[in-house]
Amino acid sequence: MEFREQLHDMNPAIKFLVVVVSMLTLAWFFNPWTPALFFVGIVSIQLVLSRVNWKLWLLMMIPFSITAFGYLWTTVLFAAETGGMVIWTWKSIVVTNEQLSRALSLSFRVIAFSSISLLFALTTQPVKFVMSLMQQFRLSPKLAYGMLVGYQFLPVVKDEFIQIRHAHRLRGVGDEKWWWQRIFGMKRILIPLLAAAVRKAERAAFAMEARGFTGAPRSEFYKPIPLGINDWILSALFLLLLFASCIVGVLWT
Amino acid sequence: MLKSWKLKEVVLLSVFSVVFAVVYLLFVHVGNIWSGFIGPIAFEWMFGIWFIVSIISMYIIRKPGAAVLSETMAAVIEVMIGNAVGPRLILSGLVQGLGAEAAFAITGYKRFNTWVLILAGIGAALFSFAYGFFVSGYSALAPSYLALMLGLRIMSGALIAGLGGQWVSNGLLATGALRGYAISLGKRKTSVE
Repeated sequence: MEFREQLHDMNPAIKFLVVVVSMLTLAWFFNPWTPALFFVGIVSIQLVLSRVNWKLWLLMMIPFSITAFGYLWTTVLFAAETGGMVIWTWKSIVVTNEQLSRALSLSFRVIAFSSISLLFALTTQPVKFVMSLMQQFRLSPKLAYGMLVGYQFLPVVKDEFIQIRHAHRLRGVGDEKWWWQRIFGMKRILIPLLAAAVRKAERAAFAMEARGFTGAPRSEFYKPIPLGINDWILSALFLLLLFASCIVGVLWT
Repeated sequence: MLKSWKLKEVVLLSVFSVVFAVVYLLFVHVGNIWSGFIGPIAFEWMFGIWFIVSIISMYIIRKPGAAVLSETMAAVIEVMIGNAVGPRLILSGLVQGLGAEAAFAITGYKRFNTWVLILAGIGAALFSFAYGFFVSGYSALAPSYLALMLGLRIMSGALIAGLGGQWVSNGLLATGALRGYAISLGKRKTSVE
């Protein structure tokens, strides 16, 4: 197997589980080092084991960096009482080193969460993910295939949205002056969109049942999603990184 | 739980989830831009938008699980569309859905009036706030600031998700597309009585 394909070939359900476990673990740590180290580790793993488009990665990190910055200054300004050494004062604002390290921790946490989420998003195929949830985590086929039907309708919904907009324009509606008028105007687009969605859902369900889909749980699949030794090795690698950054982060502070 | 569900209801949930997943993603971008300037509180006043699909689905289908399933599905579809927030959304979708579901469960899935819908919006707000408190480390913030955030989120859940959800569903009901779903049966029953 190609080395740089490892993350792309990893079992999506297991990958999802790893991401969830990492995030729920990181949430317990309030030192800046743990999320920072985890972030560095995730980026390095991604550099070695995937073919991610790094330009796209950078672009997608921009909004998260903005959010992280928002967290940084809010947590400094509106910090809970913690004590610690005062390192900076300005008018009535007093910042202690404890507060600063917590603020840094929270904003690094945003960055760390984003990096692992992006790792998942950029290396996982959506349909395989749902298939894998059904095969490895026993998600009901009724739900799984129902969800895939919705997913396939996405381009149709988009086309319909454009059509409705065009129809509104022809009749000269939809260009309100104020933002609150526009928010209430959303209903004019949403209702026809949803009404069409209801009809589509009915037709699709009929068609599925007519072709013998019962939604009963099954054990054999047309396209099995493999689960092998590689998945366990990669999971171990991620958990090792998580464990190491937690330990080192606590020791360094 | 799924035994009593018809396939067309499951597919309906999923198609609704698709429509609202797109709406949700649009507002995530709006929120992200704001939040750089005014911090995490940027999301609070419009948080109710992210609870709306659970309330609309439950109001229309009226079966146990409609709220939590639709909200989770919307989150999964957001991830499938290729959203960078990724798997984290599925967890928060699940938590929000559970919050709305709790309100309907308390009333035994029997009443679906305006107050119950508002309660569901508040439930989703409370659950999601508790989850955010843990995951985003809100404990580092001052209690008064937290109270402001929570207050805004509850208001938003009640107004946007609760009332807004009912408003959209009633609009949809008026188109006649919902014949054959529990919502129009409910209406007919009360009109006969």
